[in-house]
Amino acid sequence: MELDAQTWEFLGRYLGAGFALGLGGIGAAMGMGRAAAQASEAIMRQPKIKGEMLRTMLIGQAVGGSPSIFALVVGLYILFIPASNPAEVGGNFFAALFGAGICIGFGCFGSGLGCGWPAGEACDGVARNPKHGTQTTQAMIIGQAVAQSPAIFALVVSLILVMRQMPGTDLHIMGIFIGSGIAMGVSAIGSGIGSGQTAGGAVGGLAKWPKTYGTTLRSMLIGQAVCDTPAIFGMLVAFIMMFALPELEGGILGFAKVFGAAIAVGFGGIGPGIGSGMTAEQGCAATSARPDKDGLLLRTMLIGQAVSQSTAIYALIIALALLYVV
Amino acid sequence: MDPTTLLSILDVTLAQTSDAVAATGISGKDLMKAGALIGAGICMGFGAIGPGIGEGFAAGKACEAIGRSPQDAGLLTRTMLIGQAVSESTGIYALVVALLMLFVVGA
Repeated sequence: MELDAQTWEFLGRYLGAGFALGLGGIGAAMGMGRAAAQASEAIMRQPKIKGEMLRTMLIGQAVGGSPSIFALVVGLYILFIPASNPAEVGGNFFAALFGAGICIGFGCFGSGLGCGWPAGEACDGVARNPKHGTQTTQAMIIGQAVAQSPAIFALVVSLILVMRQMPGTDLHIMGIFIGSGIAMGVSAIGSGIGSGQTAGGAVGGLAKWPKTYGTTLRSMLIGQAVCDTPAIFGMLVAFIMMFALPELEGGILGFAKVFGAAIAVGFGGIGPGIGSGMTAEQGCAATSARPDKDGLLLRTMLIGQAVSQSTAIYALIIALALLYVV
Repeated sequence: MDPTTLLSILDVTLAQTSDAVAATGISGKDLMKAGALIGAGICMGFGAIGPGIGEGFAAGKACEAIGRSPQDAGLLTRTMLIGQAVSESTGIYALVVALLMLFVVGA
């Protein structure tokens, strides 16, 4: 089966843009829906301050919607970027665009979904404690900004992929491009959801105990940093595959190495990211309730997160063994 | 569409695929090794999802409980670590099988 240049080109453009926007929109839409649901409930309880709650909801949705805008930008870029040499377009061009689409699509799913947690908790918190509404909104914005970082990693990798056009059709280079997209994009799902859950726990706790702002925010930022580790592993493997792979044999063996490494580090990051988020969510909530025990709680949270990360580290080891040893 | 037409289309597609594989010069041995390598990735990647979420859940509940009764922190941390160690076991199985596929089956 031989595909001509035009077929490869449009296959890459259509599939890449489709995956980018189709997957990238899911998470943000679900997150914004969560915020709106909790805002409606809060307005029902405290109809007198509906203006303030509406404002908090809209700010939360605006920040939480930005991953889907990343996906829109990259999707349009995939559709319309000119091919540098249209006559020699082949499977490599297709793979770069398709990989970029997978990368930004999956990468924006987690962050979009995760940003819904703090937005919902903030609407709830403004109703519960209107006097400290500004502080709650501020904590929500900080938490959401950190929860965006996996989507921003995915944006960087997908833009690099779109711009790396190579002529011809080589199975192992196609594996590198699609694999980089899977490694970065899929590993960002767990990190985005986990960071969002952490921010949700902290914002919810702050609404109940507003005086513990500094302590809770510190626990939240440390917890979110640990949650983002799987996405950083994914980005590391994507960069190694794109720029630092010593020599890769052509054909199906080279393809299998990079593709296997990408699946290991990508899907291996989902569980640890979500798990670390569950731990940090409860850790932050407990810290805001008992700020006098913040050292003990931070230690327990970090031990729990470290154990939860261990499987992500196994996945990284298998990926590096596939790339460098086998 | 009647079943015979469907079967004949499937037959032609299969023949063309095997022709394409033969044309690229991929031998059966290569294909088996490639399967082992991708399989190792799938094994470790999907095998890591469950333990990660499960351990995080256990640790989250431990944090919640320590927040409520900090005087029992030692007991709670111990229980959390034992629970996490058991939850980790399937992750270690996945690691072992992935290493076997990389260095024994795929070698």
